[in-house]
Amino acid sequence: MLTREEGEEEQEEEEEEEAKGRRRAFSVNDNVDLLAEILGRLDGRSLAVAGCVCRLWNAVGRRDSVWEAVCHRHVAGGGSSAADGGCSTRSVVAALGGYRRLYRLCIGPALDRLAGSAGGRGSTTTTAEAAAAHHLSLSLSLSLFSIDCYERLGGRQQRPASLLFLCKPVDVS
Amino acid sequence: MKREHQETGAGGGSGYHVATAADMAGAKGKMTAASSMGMEDDDCGVDELLAALGYKVRSSDMADVAQKLEQLEMAMASTAAAASDDASVLPQIASDTVHYDPSHLAAWLDSMLSELNAPPPPLPPPPPVAAAVHHHHHQRFDVSTASAVSEPPAITTVAPLRPSDAYGFKPVPPPAAASGGRVVYGLDPQSEMIVSPRDQKRKRTCSPSSSSSWGAEAGRARGSRTEGASSAKPAAALPVVVVDTQETGIRLVHALMACAEAVQQENLKAADALVKHISVLAASQDGPMRKVAGYFAEAIARRIYRRRPFSQVDRALDSPALEDLLHLHFYESCPYLKFAHFTANQAILEAFSGCRRVHVIDFGMRQGLQWPALLQALALRPGGPPSLRLTGIGPPQSDHSDALQQVGWKLDMLAKTIGVDFRYRGFVASSLADLESRMLLERDGSEGDRDDEGEEEAVAVNSVMELHRLLARTGALEKVLRMVLAVRPRIVTVVEEEANHNGGTFLDRFTEALHYYSSMFDSLEGGGGQAVAAGEEEQQQKHRAMAEAYLGRQICNVVACEGAERTERHETLGQWRVRMARAGFEPAHLGSNAFKQASMLLALYAGGDGFRVEETDGCLTLGWHTRPLIATSAWRVSAASAH
Repeated sequence: MLTREEGEEEQEEEEEEEAKGRRRAFSVNDNVDLLAEILGRLDGRSLAVAGCVCRLWNAVGRRDSVWEAVCHRHVAGGGSSAADGGCSTRSVVAALGGYRRLYRLCIGPALDRLAGSAGGRGSTTTTAEAAAAHHLSLSLSLSLFSIDCYERLGGRQQRPASLLFLCKPVDVS
Repeated sequence: MKREHQETGAGGGSGYHVATAADMAGAKGKMTAASSMGMEDDDCGVDELLAALGYKVRSSDMADVAQKLEQLEMAMASTAAAASDDASVLPQIASDTVHYDPSHLAAWLDSMLSELNAPPPPLPPPPPVAAAVHHHHHQRFDVSTASAVSEPPAITTVAPLRPSDAYGFKPVPPPAAASGGRVVYGLDPQSEMIVSPRDQKRKRTCSPSSSSSWGAEAGRARGSRTEGASSAKPAAALPVVVVDTQETGIRLVHALMACAEAVQQENLKAADALVKHISVLAASQDGPMRKVAGYFAEAIARRIYRRRPFSQVDRALDSPALEDLLHLHFYESCPYLKFAHFTANQAILEAFSGCRRVHVIDFGMRQGLQWPALLQALALRPGGPPSLRLTGIGPPQSDHSDALQQVGWKLDMLAKTIGVDFRYRGFVASSLADLESRMLLERDGSEGDRDDEGEEEAVAVNSVMELHRLLARTGALEKVLRMVLAVRPRIVTVVEEEANHNGGTFLDRFTEALHYYSSMFDSLEGGGGQAVAAGEEEQQQKHRAMAEAYLGRQICNVVACEGAERTERHETLGQWRVRMARAGFEPAHLGSNAFKQASMLLALYAGGDGFRVEETDGCLTLGWHTRPLIATSAWRVSAASAH
């Protein structure tokens, strides 16, 4: 009888150990910064999809810093420049509307367009990044973005169309 | 489609009646214009209008008649081709025709067809013929017999050149009226055509491009109006069976050239007839060709009718607000202006490196779409943004709205957002030559509280498609360039259309403009952005239509205006180089950054395969396929003139 009780106790202890083990196991949702870091390595479309998983992921996926990482990963010239340079870029882009908007309006459609044309020419690469990273520069994207922002300043006029020549983008907001 | 063939193939002259029949067959019952004479049989169902001409055709038979007419034409053509000697067949038909009563058109057609299909002995002579048909056929066959001897039958798709009599024009003296020589088409070697040997004064070579069937490179094309006129006639002696757009496209070009030559020779009557003919031909085309032809036809018509008192309607169309709106749509629907802005900005940016105070003078402010990108680039340049002063020059607004000032506000708002110290000044001037250099350099009173007045400011002058307007007045360009020198700029960016529309003779200008604008319209069609959603598609089309209207106004100015009114005096890059060098500027090379940025921009445009960015001696040109259309160049004050 004593051994049976001990056995049961042992079993319970084991179960408790397991439960404790599970609680100690890592979940990415526990560490939001890590989640942000990981999400920042996705491409735009995947990031948008990730934003549909749960509220937490949605909130993290809307952070401009995440989109900043995405943008810099996909355009040339957006890499690790001087810290001061990076900071001023950030402030300018924030003023113009943010990285998420930049991606949605300029970089995303541009990448789609470049991938499309590259694919049309018989290129076998399927990833947009590989093809486009050589082509699209941050300065060009920012120029287009600033023109679009400027057009919207008009307010009462009809919808700005300077970026109409790019494909209609997927709405991520 | 067959019916169209009939109409276009018989655009004028002797084929006219044929077209009318086909036309009426289609529009039966809708005609209200009835001639008062010859209507005696209208109650037995005979078509009224043909009855007025002397034919009697039952309305119910109309479609049948039209079809038979077409068959007849084809049959005659094939018969003529088969025969070794043209002259023998046609007079026979001509003499046989005389015997028939054309008033019973249906019956006559039947018999003609049966005769041609099975060459038989001549049929018994029926009642005498009406004058109209006799004349009609005589006209047709006389002409063909006259020139048939000299024309080998082995010609394929292109209509032959005929003397001008067929059109009922007064015969023009031979030297002027000589039709063009050989016409060689690059793509289709079969359609080589040899004209009657007596008319070999001028040569013309046309080579259709791949994208449009009439991107003709007529070097010194001086096709006579007779050539244009007659080339549209149906070829009774040639095996013309199928009309493809390439052929009508070529005819259209011929007609346009002929019309231009007529205008140059002040032969307004001929030109008038040709303009109508062009409209008919243009209607059968599709896409960019039709639009370009339409605009050119309208412009030529304006030029012709300008000799008579002109209505004031056009004045209302000259509002700067409309011009700005069209310009905006042109900006949005094709890459030329963006290319211009980006390359000019790059040159300005590089010239301003290291300067703390910069001043940009823009000769054509419009909506200021060039400057947000420069503001952003200055904000992000290593070392921080300078303080920027922008002086914008614009035309006076008819409705007293202060467009220039509004643009300034918007730019100021943007500059504040991104943290660039910005000042703006607007100048209203109807012509750049009215400005003085000290006006541009002086500062506002409100700048007393700004810091560092002592530091020199670097000046850049930017002109996007503005300098060519100055050529309308002698001395204006030199005055403006002297003023620019006085401002002592670090860099002067000049963007101009790459074409010579300021040539000596009207015909030269017309030819050049035709090629230039057909390439432009092609690129608009082929190079517009891809719209995915249906709503976007409509907007894209609207943009494109307005961009085309913008170009249409330019066409109108180049073709229809003269003297001080003709402001669109485009010149080529080579010509501008000479002018700038003479004024005391030396070229500044646009760097590779500008080239890369431009190439990338073009890659973003769908149909970007058609666009070409090229670099020539430090200047960048953007073109469609092989034709450069816009050129950006940068200049600085040469050492010699900087004293």
